[in-house]
Amino acid sequence: IQPPEKPLQAEEWNRLKESFRSPEVFEEVMFNSMVRCNSPIDVAKSLLTHVAKSNGDIAYNLLVKYLALCVHQGQVSEIRDVYDIMKIRFKSFDSGAYNLFIRGLCNSDEWRMALTLLEEVKKIMVPSRTNYESCIKAASRHQEMNLAFQLYHEMLAKDLVPSFDILQALFDFSRGMEGAELQKELFGILLYLRENQMYPHKTFMWSIKLWFESIPGGHWRGHLTNIKNSGQCPVCNHQLEDSNLTEEEYSNLRERIIRDVIHGTDTFRKTSPQEFEAFQTFVENRLPFDIVIDGLNVSHIKPRKMQCENLFDAVNCLAKENTRLLVLGRKHMLVNSSNWKREIMKEMQNKADFFFAENISEDDAFLLYATLQSGKHCKFVTRDFLRDHKACLSDSLTRHLFRKWQRGHQISNKMFFSVFIQQPAFRYDCVVQTTGDTWHIPYKDAFEEKYSYQVPRKWLCIQQKR
Amino acid sequence: MQSANVLLKKIVRSSVLPFAAQHGMKKDLFPLSRALSLSLCMKQDNSCNPSEKLDLDAWKKVMKSGLQEEVAETVSERQELSSLAAAREILDMWRLAGRAVPENISEEQLQTFIECPSKSAKKKYLKYLHLKELKKKSDKRKMEKKRERRLEAQEQASKTGETKRSSFLCMWSNTMDKAYNWRAAQSMIFGQPLVFDMSYEKDMSVQEVAYTVRQLVLSEGCNRKSVDPFHIHFCNFKDSSLYQKEFIKHYQEAWNKLLITVTDQCYTDLFPKDKLVYLTADSPKVMKTFDHNKIYIVGSMVDRSIKTGVSLARAKRLGLETAALPLEKYLLWNTGAKNLTLDQMMHILLTLKDTGDWKKALEFVPKRKYSAFVNEPVHELKKTLNLISALKLGKRQEQVRKPFAKNYSKKLKQE
Repeated sequence: IQPPEKPLQAEEWNRLKESFRSPEVFEEVMFNSMVRCNSPIDVAKSLLTHVAKSNGDIAYNLLVKYLALCVHQGQVSEIRDVYDIMKIRFKSFDSGAYNLFIRGLCNSDEWRMALTLLEEVKKIMVPSRTNYESCIKAASRHQEMNLAFQLYHEMLAKDLVPSFDILQALFDFSRGMEGAELQKELFGILLYLRENQMYPHKTFMWSIKLWFESIPGGHWRGHLTNIKNSGQCPVCNHQLEDSNLTEEEYSNLRERIIRDVIHGTDTFRKTSPQEFEAFQTFVENRLPFDIVIDGLNVSHIKPRKMQCENLFDAVNCLAKENTRLLVLGRKHMLVNSSNWKREIMKEMQNKADFFFAENISEDDAFLLYATLQSGKHCKFVTRDFLRDHKACLSDSLTRHLFRKWQRGHQISNKMFFSVFIQQPAFRYDCVVQTTGDTWHIPYKDAFEEKYSYQVPRKWLCIQQKR
Repeated sequence: MQSANVLLKKIVRSSVLPFAAQHGMKKDLFPLSRALSLSLCMKQDNSCNPSEKLDLDAWKKVMKSGLQEEVAETVSERQELSSLAAAREILDMWRLAGRAVPENISEEQLQTFIECPSKSAKKKYLKYLHLKELKKKSDKRKMEKKRERRLEAQEQASKTGETKRSSFLCMWSNTMDKAYNWRAAQSMIFGQPLVFDMSYEKDMSVQEVAYTVRQLVLSEGCNRKSVDPFHIHFCNFKDSSLYQKEFIKHYQEAWNKLLITVTDQCYTDLFPKDKLVYLTADSPKVMKTFDHNKIYIVGSMVDRSIKTGVSLARAKRLGLETAALPLEKYLLWNTGAKNLTLDQMMHILLTLKDTGDWKKALEFVPKRKYSAFVNEPVHELKKTLNLISALKLGKRQEQVRKPFAKNYSKKLKQE
């Protein structure tokens, strides 16, 4: 139903209600459509008056819907009035009403009241991210940066992930402000981005740049740039951190892969203990490999071609200058069939080491193990994103390590006109990084453009010139 | 008089705002939208109100009046709420806001609600309780209607004074029970064993265990009513496990009188290994025919989060033969996971045992999961379907597969 454009008298509302299909829910439906159409609040008020006069009371959900309308239109004094009324009538509110009050009040000069409401919410549940977002934005808008950061840390402590909007607001409103403490806090945000491998979008990146350049006496200058494949920044000639893991991270990751991915809850789910042991001794005897190939994955690159032909191409292409290859496959590849010719398999086995797993085992797990066991120089070839294996890792820190390692060591290939083109693994690590007097921050062009496996190619280079 | 007051209050409030907006903050940082909305609000306040003879804020007076006594009381009550009471309060407010919340909730349920790890878990749990409550209510309503109708019918019957005569006493269900039990008892001596592997408790949530037991109860029921029942074995069944608790909830004292074998031993201890076949959807082997000499094992597991390979891993560990139902072969699969519920498995196995007819047996696969039953192998059918769609799109999908031997020799020459 279409809400009326002007406030109506009681009789008119009555008439409307009677013409409505189910009069019991008339008010609710009417309010819903008012919220949808963003009707003038006077219309809503006249309906409320009508309801109050005929029933002597107004139901809670109607009040909340009216509140939503007020918040949407920024009617601060109305929000205050609704708050006063609801405070008298009800002991506490539901989360929806709290959300609305906090959002509505934060956009007004009564924003401090929102803080007391936030305290009230904390008593009964964990406030939502948007609750904090409103309050932090309000505090920073009023230049209360200490308060804003206090709230920010509070929400981090509650395991809420801050939105880019919050972080951007903190940068925006700290612009031009002095204070070592404040600087430390904002650097802390950048490090938070680094730790969680988050990439700011373009507008956020501008906020960061402008903040740096506005630091009084900081002499910071920012430039937008693309990083060369070698990992050198063209602006400041600084070499970015390389993508290799540290010794400790590396061995940590290796252990976790064996524990969580290969063994998991039950070794038999992906392989069997005998098979894994056999594979381990196989790998130990032939270490180290330079490239480990997922045979089955590579064999499906060109669907028109025979599978072993695809694999043959790949092996030929990669077998150069003493590179030691390991191809992982399954036993069914050894059976002479239309897709797997025995002569070709024999031919290939002269050029590379082969390990054939059971047909029902997962060869990906072996791929990871063999690559990690060979050492940091070893790369692997597969088109698979290995998402399911990443998901087996139990904590997010290890998952990040895995992604980083994967970026540095996975060669995914594309075939164009039977030319084997390799997409090189990244040599530098794509995260926010600093050396103290320089910052390098990767950013994405649009807010949601990037797939999670892609990393941005554009960078913000910030350097301090004294 | 009062409306004038309200109006005055409003003007005072709204005139304070723009002053504060200019004061003490950087103008360029101030979002434009807020300034706009403020001016909009002021304009409305000034233009609409005086011209209306309607008192738009009358509702506020109504809401505020007659409530002064309650205020004192509510204020004193606000302090120090126990967590249960607080949760109850939240629920009350959610109900008022029109969310899916049950009307009545027990202490135990409330405790589960509090212990839910996240907000969404809480929401889900409440919705579940809410739907359960609605179902209960509608059932009750239906029962009452039924009773009314029965009473009416009785009245009518007593009016006409007719009574039915028959040579049997009306003891149908009792006699049927006896007949079923007789058959089940026979199956315990001569019947083909069917094993349910009860060792998945740690792989399931409490809810999933409850579902499993419900499905097992259904399976046991349909087995008992069949012409030639299986001899059901519950193997690896631990006393005082969650399974047992749930079973007792369902069967109550009948649990100890069931004509099935419940044991904590493993099936490998009871039967020769070469006769066992573990049925699992992950198995690479597909079942061709039902073998009356084999002992089939079904894992008692409801797996809502799709943990692949759990039962296959168990069979691998014990070195057992595995098999999957030939769903792909006979059904043009549509959606849904290939793992079926335990009672569906039971129906399928019973039908296979009696008739050996795959078509009849696979009738018990839920209709939503497949689009058609096929007699010729599915991959042939798919090929033709692909061809048809390719023709429709006007693409010529040539399967040009060059003779590989030629290619291969060429490459060798090049090197």
